[in-house]
Amino acid sequence: MAAEDLPSEFDVVILGTGLAESVAAAAFSRVGQRVLHVDRRSYYAANWASFTFNGLLNWIQQYHVNELQDWSSLLEDGEEVIYLSNPDTASIKNLQVFCFTSEEDEKEEEASSSTPTNAAEDHNINADEEAVKESSETESAGNTVTNLLVAIDCIISEHSILYNPCNSPENVPDTARVSKTGSYFYLRLMYSRGSLVDLLIKSNVSRYAEFKNVTRILTYRQGKVEQVPCSRADVFASRQLSVVEKRKLMRFLTSCMEETEEQMAYHGRPYSEFLRDQQLGDNLEHFILHSIAMVTEHTLTEEGLASTRNFLQCLGRYGNTPFLFPVYGLGEIPQCFCRMCAVFGGIYCLRHSVSCLLVDKDTNRCKAVIDSRGQRISCSHFVVEEGYVGPERKRVATPPRFISRAVLITDSSVLSSNSDQQVSLVTIPPIAAGCAAVRMVELSSSTMTCMPGTYLVHLTCQSSGSAYEDLSPLVSRIFCTPDSPDQGNTQNCPSVLWCLYFNITDGSGLETEGHDLPSNVYMCSGPDGGLSHENAIKQAEAIFSKILPDEDFCPPAPNPEDIIYDGDATASAEGEDKEGEDKEGEKENQDKLEEAVLTEETVQTATATSTLPSG
Amino acid sequence: MAGGSVSECKEYLFKVLVIGELGVGKTSIIKRYVHQLFSQHYRATIGVDFALKVINWDSKTLVRLQLWDIAGQERFGNMTRVYYKEAVGAFVVFDVTRGSTFEAVSKWKHDLDSKVKLANGSPIPSVLLANKCDQKKESFNSKVLMDSFCKETGFLGWFETSAKDNINVDEAAHFLVDNILANDKGLPYEESNGDRIKLDQETVAAESKPGCC
Repeated sequence: MAAEDLPSEFDVVILGTGLAESVAAAAFSRVGQRVLHVDRRSYYAANWASFTFNGLLNWIQQYHVNELQDWSSLLEDGEEVIYLSNPDTASIKNLQVFCFTSEEDEKEEEASSSTPTNAAEDHNINADEEAVKESSETESAGNTVTNLLVAIDCIISEHSILYNPCNSPENVPDTARVSKTGSYFYLRLMYSRGSLVDLLIKSNVSRYAEFKNVTRILTYRQGKVEQVPCSRADVFASRQLSVVEKRKLMRFLTSCMEETEEQMAYHGRPYSEFLRDQQLGDNLEHFILHSIAMVTEHTLTEEGLASTRNFLQCLGRYGNTPFLFPVYGLGEIPQCFCRMCAVFGGIYCLRHSVSCLLVDKDTNRCKAVIDSRGQRISCSHFVVEEGYVGPERKRVATPPRFISRAVLITDSSVLSSNSDQQVSLVTIPPIAAGCAAVRMVELSSSTMTCMPGTYLVHLTCQSSGSAYEDLSPLVSRIFCTPDSPDQGNTQNCPSVLWCLYFNITDGSGLETEGHDLPSNVYMCSGPDGGLSHENAIKQAEAIFSKILPDEDFCPPAPNPEDIIYDGDATASAEGEDKEGEDKEGEKENQDKLEEAVLTEETVQTATATSTLPSG
Repeated sequence: MAGGSVSECKEYLFKVLVIGELGVGKTSIIKRYVHQLFSQHYRATIGVDFALKVINWDSKTLVRLQLWDIAGQERFGNMTRVYYKEAVGAFVVFDVTRGSTFEAVSKWKHDLDSKVKLANGSPIPSVLLANKCDQKKESFNSKVLMDSFCKETGFLGWFETSAKDNINVDEAAHFLVDNILANDKGLPYEESNGDRIKLDQETVAAESKPGCC
């Protein structure tokens, strides 16, 4: 914790703690590279982060102005400077927050009369230059911020009182364990056979994380939320499907696992056409196209079939749907890789950035970086999150692509069932021509992301306008908000207690080649709009193999139980538990402490025995 | 499970953190406690998540103690949540020969309390270790001062330890485990985590799961 200087030389300096950067950090550190991993933010996981509610409010408030300092005095001969920028201002815009207190809450609240009721306050922080034009609006919005935050605090306090009697209202603690309202920037799940899951298992990083299975897949159709039958069990259990439909669906799902001549004939034509000609009927077509393949009307048959197969292959590995969600939120995953990097000697500094790169003019290589404290640090390679690199140096898709996001806290599930701990993925086809398909994930408190009795809902789609324009019409239809068109009809809909809208750069807009950067500088994009993590893992692996083509990417880390504890010598005698070992003995001991490998099972047993509920 | 009837033997798994400034002897204490070893040669801790000590607490209780050393990020106090997650106890270590490491103790304690809590919201039990007491200088704080420091900062207690001469390491661990067990018996957890998934175990395929009736 002491404010010491960092070592002045590393093999790899990495800026940004997003998923791709963190995976790369773990991979380099694991094979013995000296890694310095920094982030200018005060939290891990960059745009992949999960926040507590308070953390999220802080994030909303934090729009730093980027101060450029002149470090040219630290230059050596033949070097030039590339300045880096603030990643948040570049990647986030159109942030809007709404806070609703419903009638029901009013009944529960007693003393806190200061809470505005049925008042929707909204403020608009534009992080980009366009905001300057609307300066008057932004200014007035500035005044409401304080009120707004007070209101939000009240809401959370109320819920703390309602559901978590031991929390004092003023003191909503930071740890997600107690204050469970979390959030993450991207709606994202993990395919149970995707490259992230494979990497977690291969590298043993999986030991740091726990997951929940997404318990059901839903779809929104004709104004109603319905469950999509996707596994055999679901199909048989389904009440919406007729016997004929069940048989057709089973036959289709079985047949599409293999490539047939009939399918080949449809290559180059839309998948929807192929489905129509299978004579499945509207119901099944909808389920397969939107919820199983998760493609659009225009997707080609070969692509649609590949998505369908991927879905089916992932089914059943861990549960009833192909998706996993990390307990405590997605922001855990980059941190798991950071921990692995640190365990193998990587050095971590948050609230610490790299101000500029020093580039050798002749070789066009980055020789060193200057950190935010003005220290010169030599490195052989530099890996950086896209957001830190100024727009003039990178090649991105034009026009720039954005994703629209909404984060909601609601009071009940969009589709009630016998369990209040469902984790649901909801696929929502475009509600009108020209609109984008929306994906929604509804998390229950079992994922440790929200308070018991509330749900955390994420919506995401490709932007056509601001996040509010893109998503609020849908939100007011599915949920009960003051904007809902027909108040009488939305009685049974979940109420929105709080919501946040924002746009964020689509990571898939970053080109892989052609950036104006030194040859040993590698850029990682932020999250993209897809549902999986393939892109980030691929990027990290590509960077790793470019730098160290002969090394293994994330080989399994040894189990703590198998580790040789001291490295003074290299003897490797297999020892029993050496109780009476002389302390002066400088010889190496391989203490096999525990024969039994600590498996998850034993952990579970231990927890179970010690946590018998009292009722 | 040799002694006593199987049904009565309880097994506990406790994650305990060992934190403190660079070079105060965290790794030495762990090594002494778990492996009965001490080496003069200090090495930064590489490749190790935790060391496991299995304690036959009494005839009915088996305790598996995971001691989590902090890794390469230690100098800067930026541990990931992975490190703190689900810890139920902590040792904060300082070096009696270096006053600055004692001054950092309250920072570490504060950091600890802000990052992890018990299920009921109270801080996790923690014990202060005044390590390297074999090299103790006279200027070291009096017992009275240390006692009141522990009270103020919320430590259960403190021990003068020496990993080198094996002084008080077992005693301190016993003291902490005793407190963790007391907490554990007093507090039923809110949720059972039975349906969480670990990726290294291939679970039953969905098709064979119940719930389809």
